[in-house]
Amino acid sequence: MTDAIYPQARIVSARFLRPDTVEQLLNRLVQVGGILRMSINGPSIPTTVPYGPARGKPNPHPDRKVIHVGDQDVLLQVQVGTIILELEDESYIAGIREAVDEVFAEKDFTCAVQQGRYMKSQPTISDYAKYGPDADREILGLVDPRKKDGPIIIQGTK
Amino acid sequence: MAYKPQFGPGTSKVAENRRKQMNPKQKLEKMRDVTDEDIVLLLGHRAPGAAYPTAHPPLAEQQEPDCPIRKIVTPTEGAKAGDRVRYIQFADSMFFAPCQPYQRTYTEMYRFRGIDPGTLSGRQIVECRERDLEKYSKELIETELLDAARTGIRGATVHGHSLRLAENGMMFDMLQRSVLGEDGIVRYVKNQIGEPLDRAVAIGKPLDEKWLKDHTTIFHSLGGTAYRDDKEYIEYVQRIHSLRTKYGFMPKE
Repeated sequence: MTDAIYPQARIVSARFLRPDTVEQLLNRLVQVGGILRMSINGPSIPTTVPYGPARGKPNPHPDRKVIHVGDQDVLLQVQVGTIILELEDESYIAGIREAVDEVFAEKDFTCAVQQGRYMKSQPTISDYAKYGPDADREILGLVDPRKKDGPIIIQGTK
Repeated sequence: MAYKPQFGPGTSKVAENRRKQMNPKQKLEKMRDVTDEDIVLLLGHRAPGAAYPTAHPPLAEQQEPDCPIRKIVTPTEGAKAGDRVRYIQFADSMFFAPCQPYQRTYTEMYRFRGIDPGTLSGRQIVECRERDLEKYSKELIETELLDAARTGIRGATVHGHSLRLAENGMMFDMLQRSVLGEDGIVRYVKNQIGEPLDRAVAIGKPLDEKWLKDHTTIFHSLGGTAYRDDKEYIEYVQRIHSLRTKYGFMPKE
């Protein structure tokens, strides 16, 4: 959550993405640059079986794996379906569209790039009650601020 | 005049498919072969080859009370042997899966005996005696009621029926019980509750998009038959809704 209103974009594919496609797409986005914050969304892939008679047993899942983005390793904890971006300015959106078109050119499904407001701009009363006054505003509304592992920082070229 | 069931209203292809599945006189098309042992592995209730655990002694060995209903109803094989009650549960993708929860319940009620189905928005469970369950499961899995990619055999953690499909066309499953192999065949690597299997169970190739759209029982305004396009279906549902709403006021048509 920042005071200045930065433009935001959302990348929505018609299908859930495989980890290698995500890796390819994110690396292409990092090349475009101008990204302040990024959140990758989708249904969670838990480490253990959450419900039922097998509850608590390990859940090996081929799509829960580490991908390499920029100069960092990222552990995918979700099956990626949506990517939300906060950009320095609107001029980067054209580059993002181009990058997405390039990655999805050979796929048999489409992927849309939308512009709008997709990140929480102000903490709500519930956020205050849940996380207190000192919650990290950078990640509030994107992930649970109580999570121990913080955001992954990918160094830009500036 | 003898009663002749109509099974359901509608003039569309979807309505016709629904009637076809429900009608017990219509033989369901067999799409794949799955062995009895594979079914037992998928269900995960007992080890293959193990005896059926029982909930009560066989009916022949116990004293039955003098009851007119018991004289009319023939017990199923499982009930006769005193089997435990066990279940199978399915999740069907909204992207043109060949069956869906309500439809499954109707179909099973017309076709099977001694069952207790539970219908929810995204999943449908059917409970019955273990021996009968294995027989019914075989029919549910081998026939056109199941598609390897868009139907999931999921005892728990069913999330996925209303989500986008994965890149390879499989329905999302956070436990990834079934995996689409390089050879295009779907194999279950975990049983329905998510415990890894000793060996993978192959259930064949996913059906193609055209077949699914021809055989689906789901109305879908994006890419399929829209519900609003089936006037007869709408008229019937509106009539039932209206009669139910006015019930307390003695409805007269």
